[in-house]
Amino acid sequence: MKEQDPNLYGLMAEFATPESLVESARKIALAGYKRFDAYSPFAIDELDEILHCENSWIPRLALAGGLSGAAFGFVLQHYAAAVWYPQIVAGKPFDSIPAFVPITFEMAILGAGLSCFAALMFAYRYPHPYHPVFNVERFSLASQTGFFLAIEADDPLFDSVQTKALLDEMSSEAVYEIPK
Amino acid sequence: MPIQEQKSDDHFSLRDESILPKGESFESVTRSISNGKDAVKGRLAFRLSLLAALGMVFLLCVAVTHLFIRGIGIFGNNMPSAWGFPIVNFVWWIGIGHAGTFISAILLILHQNWRDSINRFAEAMTLVAVLCAAMMPLIHLGRPIVFYWLIPYPNSMNLWPQFRSPLMWDMFAVGTYGTISLLFFFVGLIPDMATFRDRAKSRFGQYFYGAIAGGWRGSARHWSANKTAYVILAGLATPLVVSVHSIVALDFASSILPAWHSEIFPPYFVAGAIYSGFAMVLCISVLLRRIFDFGRYITQRHINTMVYVMMSTGLIVAYAYLVEAFIIWYSQNPPEIQVALDHYTGAAAPVYWSVIVCNIVIPQILWLRWARCNSYCVFIVCIIINIGMWLERFLIVVSGLSRDYLMSSWAEFHPTLWDFALLLGLLGLFSFCLLLFVRYFPVIPMYELRSSIFKSKAHPKSSEVLS
Amino acid sequence: MAQIFSKYSNTLARLSIIALAVLVISGIGLAYALQNSQYVTKQGIFVEQPVPFSHKHHGGDLKLDCRFCHSAVEDSAEAGMPTTEVCMGCHTQIWKNADVLKPIRDSYVQNKPISWWRVHDLPDFVYFNHSIHVAKGMGCVSCHGRVEDMPLTTQIKPLTMEWCLECHNHPEAYVRPNEWVTSSEEWSGEERARLAPKLIKDYHIQKRTDCYVCHR
Repeated sequence: MKEQDPNLYGLMAEFATPESLVESARKIALAGYKRFDAYSPFAIDELDEILHCENSWIPRLALAGGLSGAAFGFVLQHYAAAVWYPQIVAGKPFDSIPAFVPITFEMAILGAGLSCFAALMFAYRYPHPYHPVFNVERFSLASQTGFFLAIEADDPLFDSVQTKALLDEMSSEAVYEIPK
Repeated sequence: MPIQEQKSDDHFSLRDESILPKGESFESVTRSISNGKDAVKGRLAFRLSLLAALGMVFLLCVAVTHLFIRGIGIFGNNMPSAWGFPIVNFVWWIGIGHAGTFISAILLILHQNWRDSINRFAEAMTLVAVLCAAMMPLIHLGRPIVFYWLIPYPNSMNLWPQFRSPLMWDMFAVGTYGTISLLFFFVGLIPDMATFRDRAKSRFGQYFYGAIAGGWRGSARHWSANKTAYVILAGLATPLVVSVHSIVALDFASSILPAWHSEIFPPYFVAGAIYSGFAMVLCISVLLRRIFDFGRYITQRHINTMVYVMMSTGLIVAYAYLVEAFIIWYSQNPPEIQVALDHYTGAAAPVYWSVIVCNIVIPQILWLRWARCNSYCVFIVCIIINIGMWLERFLIVVSGLSRDYLMSSWAEFHPTLWDFALLLGLLGLFSFCLLLFVRYFPVIPMYELRSSIFKSKAHPKSSEVLS
Repeated sequence: MAQIFSKYSNTLARLSIIALAVLVISGIGLAYALQNSQYVTKQGIFVEQPVPFSHKHHGGDLKLDCRFCHSAVEDSAEAGMPTTEVCMGCHTQIWKNADVLKPIRDSYVQNKPISWWRVHDLPDFVYFNHSIHVAKGMGCVSCHGRVEDMPLTTQIKPLTMEWCLECHNHPEAYVRPNEWVTSSEEWSGEERARLAPKLIKDYHIQKRTDCYVCHR
């Protein structure tokens, strides 16, 4: 490993169009970089594959949340109505299973929704108001019209000179250093 | 926008992928929607409506305070009509909320990309409507201070709520609905909050929007997670559209009153909910087009499509009215027939026939192209539908209770001025919250529009984008 | 312009979320603890009475039976408070000039009952009948504690519905023979275990937990 500026988070390239961003991201991935990210003002489907975005854990977590919500809802009703304080109401049995369906269902949806949301917030590392990429002045366009790509300094292949040369080769508008 | 231009918009075909005017760029949608909220501020119409809404919110505060001091005796609620206006309002508001979820969740799953321009404010409308609705059963409790007894928790009374009761199902259904709608709204809002953060001119604006955006930086990994989770949340919200009003309908259907004990209620309520919800979304769309200059993105094509959806559900509602009448005749059940006759010719006849006229007869005018293209016409018809749906809820809640099996327990319902104050106050709260939303939040999801431009491949090339 | 928040804001934002969660959870915990606290149940709070009557002296030292004063306990809903005449039955003979007993003498002379303050105050929507409980072998001590040890009377049980139901669901843990109803002796262990099923049977004790039993 070469000596690096400890205050350098990485290098960022700005692109004018989503197409050039995708193209460059593909090249950087081919060059073997792992720790890089693309920033765009809307979702670009092509980037998922290039960046190896793996989100299948979110639906699994939502399923687990939904199942535990349903189990909780049903056990709660069973326990309250048949175990804790059994009370005959309207001549129905203590465990009136058809009558327990709506709340079980609602708790399933609530459990799945809350765990899906929690998973998403975890994926975002929300809230994360400070991030080195914001140090680049032009980066405020990333939520509006700009397309950016940042290679992080802790990537094993990162070298401030060579990586900059690589980014300069691409059809980027400009390349910036990202201070920490 | 002049009428002629709207007419030309109407030539959009439903199969036409483009929902945006030609020549829009990432920059132009971002700019015009962000500036839209600031442009709103100066409008006289905005200021006047905010003032009027504030006055009505004040009325609501007075009415609720008076209610808490004096008790629900200030309303017309009295045996046998113990539910009265508060529950009418509850059912009506919950119904209005349904269109937002329908648009944002079901249409997302069905890949109806025209929803992109209208889903945000429809979701906001849902949230506010659920808020208005959820207030009603709580303040209608004799002792509102112990509303938390509805929540099952181990308590010093060793008591649990009655889980076999549809009123409990309702609490869970509305609670889940409100929560999921809020999460869905929030997840969609984050990227647009980042845009507002980055465009904010004041320090306060940066902090305010920045706090909500929570450091959103448009990372491709985040976008990817967002896409996955958004579809899951939509999938979860989809059954809620059907289930929430079904459960509200079960409040009625699982009772044994002659007018209520009916299997048709759940689907009938859901159709009515989407009908009134779309009517409300259309009202707001027309206002946003005419008063707040969002006509570029909420086009005549949106109005047309929403009118089609609304009219289709309206036909389902009409069918439900017919089936209800048929089943009553077919059952040959004297108390049921008594209630029906009371609707057709008795004390409830003025309300019943108003419902038919408002919900079934007048709206048919919207099948005509000129009527759909006339904002005033759409607006007025939608208001009439909302009035009709409110009256329908009134007919179900009040006339059902006042015609029991026993003639000795028949009594008419007489609303008081406080009932109307509450109704008006809720409308004020609804408008007030929506006006604040229009003023401070992106009415149209900017990132979805940018994505639409990108996908339509019609976006202008490099140099124009970053000008 | 570009970097709006400082480096510390990430930690701050996360801490504030944790703080919010802690606040909400501790708020719920506090409310939860409060519902069984003496602020709500009024346990152990002494009520100022017109005369500082000592159950310890009368019941503990002098060994008066509860029913000597609370004479209606066996046949009416209310246990009943002693009439001034019951007090004066003794106090015309002993402590007849004590200052502390002046309200009793005034009441006797003016023929006006003494206003004692209720120590065990059930909500008005609860129907409670002393006679049935006493007749079915529910000892005074089960609800009122060891009154003969109290110089000033106080409520020692929470009187919450949860507490009522504990006995209504498990009467066998509390039932005692009728002749020991007013006794404060500990009634537990082997003897109770042996006798309880028989007592339940003899007294026809049912687990009454229907709403209308108490809320009529």
